[in-house]
Amino acid sequence: MLYIFQILNGLGLGMIYFLISVGLTIIFGLLNFVNFAHGAFFMVGGYLCYSLVALTGSFWISLLIGPLIVAFLAWVSEKTLFHRIYHLPHTFHILVTVGIALILQESAIIIWGPIGKNIAVPQELQGVVTLWSFAYPVYRLFLIAFTIVIGMILWFLLERTRFGALVRAGSESAEMVSLLGVNIHRLFAQTFALGVGLAGLAGILSAPIRGVHPFMGVEVLGIAFVVVVIGGMGSFIGALMGGLMVGLVQSVMSTVWPEGASLMIYGAMAAVILLRPYGLFGRA
Amino acid sequence: MNRRKFLESGLALTSLMFAPPLLRRGFAAEPVTFYGLKSMSGAFASYGEFAEKGSQLAIGDYKDLLGAKPRYVTIDTEGNPGRAVRKVQEAIQQSNARFFGGCTLSSTALAVGKEVNKAGGIFMTPAGADEITTTEFNPSTFRWTVPTYGAIHQTVRPLFESNPKAKRWYTITPQYVFGEALLAAAKGLFKQLGIEHVGNSYHSTQEQEYSGYLTNAMAAQPDVLLILGFGGNGANCLRQAANFGLKSKMTILLAWTQGLDWFQSLGPDLLEDVYIGAQYWHQVNTPLNNELVKRVREVYKISPNYPLAGDYIITKIILDAIAKAGTTDGRAVAKVMEGMSYEGPTGTETIRAEDHQVIKDYYLLRGKAKSAMKDPDDLATIISSGKSFPDPIKRS
Amino acid sequence: MAGPFVLPGGSNLAVAATLVLLPLILPSPTLATEILIFAMAALACNLLLGYGGLLSFGQGMFFGAGAYLAAIAMIHAKVGLLVALLTALCSGALIAALVGALAIRRTGIYFVMLTLAFNQTAYFIAYTLDGWTGGDNGLLDVPRPPLALFGHIFSDLGSPTAYYVFVAVVFLIIFMASGRIIASPFGSTLIAIRENEARADAVGYNTRHFKIVAFAISGAITSLSGALYAMLLNFAPLENIQMSESILIMTVIGGAGSLLGSLLGAGSWVIISDILADIWPRWQILMGGALILVVLFLRGGIWGGIESLLKRCLNKKER
Repeated sequence: MLYIFQILNGLGLGMIYFLISVGLTIIFGLLNFVNFAHGAFFMVGGYLCYSLVALTGSFWISLLIGPLIVAFLAWVSEKTLFHRIYHLPHTFHILVTVGIALILQESAIIIWGPIGKNIAVPQELQGVVTLWSFAYPVYRLFLIAFTIVIGMILWFLLERTRFGALVRAGSESAEMVSLLGVNIHRLFAQTFALGVGLAGLAGILSAPIRGVHPFMGVEVLGIAFVVVVIGGMGSFIGALMGGLMVGLVQSVMSTVWPEGASLMIYGAMAAVILLRPYGLFGRA
Repeated sequence: MNRRKFLESGLALTSLMFAPPLLRRGFAAEPVTFYGLKSMSGAFASYGEFAEKGSQLAIGDYKDLLGAKPRYVTIDTEGNPGRAVRKVQEAIQQSNARFFGGCTLSSTALAVGKEVNKAGGIFMTPAGADEITTTEFNPSTFRWTVPTYGAIHQTVRPLFESNPKAKRWYTITPQYVFGEALLAAAKGLFKQLGIEHVGNSYHSTQEQEYSGYLTNAMAAQPDVLLILGFGGNGANCLRQAANFGLKSKMTILLAWTQGLDWFQSLGPDLLEDVYIGAQYWHQVNTPLNNELVKRVREVYKISPNYPLAGDYIITKIILDAIAKAGTTDGRAVAKVMEGMSYEGPTGTETIRAEDHQVIKDYYLLRGKAKSAMKDPDDLATIISSGKSFPDPIKRS
Repeated sequence: MAGPFVLPGGSNLAVAATLVLLPLILPSPTLATEILIFAMAALACNLLLGYGGLLSFGQGMFFGAGAYLAAIAMIHAKVGLLVALLTALCSGALIAALVGALAIRRTGIYFVMLTLAFNQTAYFIAYTLDGWTGGDNGLLDVPRPPLALFGHIFSDLGSPTAYYVFVAVVFLIIFMASGRIIASPFGSTLIAIRENEARADAVGYNTRHFKIVAFAISGAITSLSGALYAMLLNFAPLENIQMSESILIMTVIGGAGSLLGSLLGAGSWVIISDILADIWPRWQILMGGALILVVLFLRGGIWGGIESLLKRCLNKKER
């Protein structure tokens, strides 16, 4: 019985991990850009949630406005900085985004102080659903449902719309797309803003579960990369499957061998890279 | 200090060699310098900021110590034990530093204690590691914090005695030296009180996700959930426990917390009816504490928390001891401190001579409902307080 | 990334002069020692990044391993200074060769993630084996044995200055040896692999073999610096293993592709953090900014900047 519940809990956790990592995989898959500042943008999302809730008293307003602000931040930084380095090797992407992550982390301490903040679960979603002797928070159920909806919208956007087609074409041959009269720079900036905006959205949705803290970005970045690498960098389905796998492993491990949980997920990542270089669902 | 030293030496290399302290000593007494080890930058910045305020307040009170106003120098530990130890070495070698106080991290405190001991100085810390006054004891190092043993005895025992029917306890423990020490103390006490320990979950100190452990806890159906993680671990564990509705199913106790700043970061909704162990609470009614609260509210516009009060009293104890010893000789000051009784934030506190452990109260608090709070810092009520200490270990 | 190696013999001289001046300019020999130790770690990182084009997040693992293994050898096997350093050197080379052999099977981001995964694993191992490493409390009471050879004691290394001199000599040897390695056929092949791996492969070089050797050398030097750090502090904290990012920042800011740059990078990182920590605890913002600026405008890092300035001055004079 305990294991069944751990598996259910792991699936829920996996959906949260999918949400955390999907933006990272979109940016890598479509722009071939490695964003080590992903976790930092997640943290900014969390803090915006805190401030917006404090300002407006409504979690829903922050859920609406927060990701837009983060996406706007990303758009500005893409326009001023990141588009200059797309053509460079991954190494340089990493260095620049590590720099950005440091700046965001320290700025958060300056703005919000070094102490973490708590964000209450919205009134409507408090409480638990009881299953035998186990309980599961309504908020987490909401989060899972919300993530499924977001996932479907994203899939539709990327696979079934002109925007998605252009972006995918642009990732194959930027030159060709721009020859067709499409403003490729704008397209890339939009994609970047979308991916980072999703990090911000994940930060906001996680805030009632994990609170916010200036240093939370580092941990989230680790998880996001593990998920994306296991699933296959750039693969949308991969991020979903990777997220579910990591969530399951972590949840079941917390009963079986808790102290090894973090070792397991990094070990799994290393094994996947070595055995299936492009992840479980990635394309070469 | 470093910046100043650096400029000094950069501008006038030679003057550094030829400007001996002898010249200055001619017309005024050399001021006593106290070095505050504070994590101003890095991952523990939330602690250092308050600790720094505490030390500065205590220093400011001293207009005259051995004929001059004492000086205060901050050493930023950066939350990085290696760099902190190097900076302490440097202060000892270059500035003949002898008096140190602070340190958030146990590892830093243990290593700094060794360095200060080599120099024959004094170091007092509010760090958590029991080793400071047990296996790694040294004649220079003093510890203000109640050890894990006391933290468990002053929380588990009163809570159990107030509700002896709550016999089934589950523990969630961060797996490292400190967590193990708390767990060992808890197991010992469970046995003594006849509490049934229905299970334990270990987690790593970097853990953010507690749903798996909480599920384990739910399966064991305990009466009390004892959370042994503190700081971010404790905060996330409690937050998620509340999410999972555990607050209505069982009593929750966190045996070791940072105090007010940690409470503030969680807020009354989460803390209501949760039992919490604390080294210090600003509402403690003692003469020194009432005075401290008044002053801190005047100067800093906040209520004192554990880092602030801890580093305040540490700084004050060392300065008082220097004044009483009438010398800056480390061993002489240590002699004064051994066995010293003084008015501290928790009432009359005594430094045990054998192991340099301060004997002071530990508190069991209970989170208040938002509606019952008189001011934003009135987050908890003191349920009980008292002193529990293991006997000092025998040294050959 | 490579700055042209303008002064082959000259750079050794420049370093020797810096080593003499460093303790005089800086407030303490201890600070100078820390700079040299980090510079050694940065230099080793540079061999991989600047010359091999391999961005490794595993340098902290080598640094921490060197500190632990030297300390454990001294505490449990009661070995002397040189044997302890040799232990660190050899085990560092071995660990790095193993990690390298696995990691270089992949390139780009996958390579980076592999080094990161190994680093996390090393952290976990050190954290778990607390009987040997002290776990979260760190390994205390690490000795600093006297410098002795065949029973003859040259110095007890007790004073900060004596230890500085010893570290400076080790640094100079490592620096000169690294210079030789870079200038050797091995070094030029490594650079060729960085510039165009496919071509180097086609020409007939076993690129894997070269990369593994580069890893082993880098790991050996990093472990050596870790061991020296443990002896400086008499302490080996768990946090050593998390030094990867700091070592990378020092390397890049100083100048990837120039050995002198690593000394400059470590020096500026340590000094800036020391000075600024007192004034402005949020000094890491500047490090972040510096990283970005270096990638965008000053690919050669601080040393690259100095070099181009020097060149400009010389050109003016010639005119």
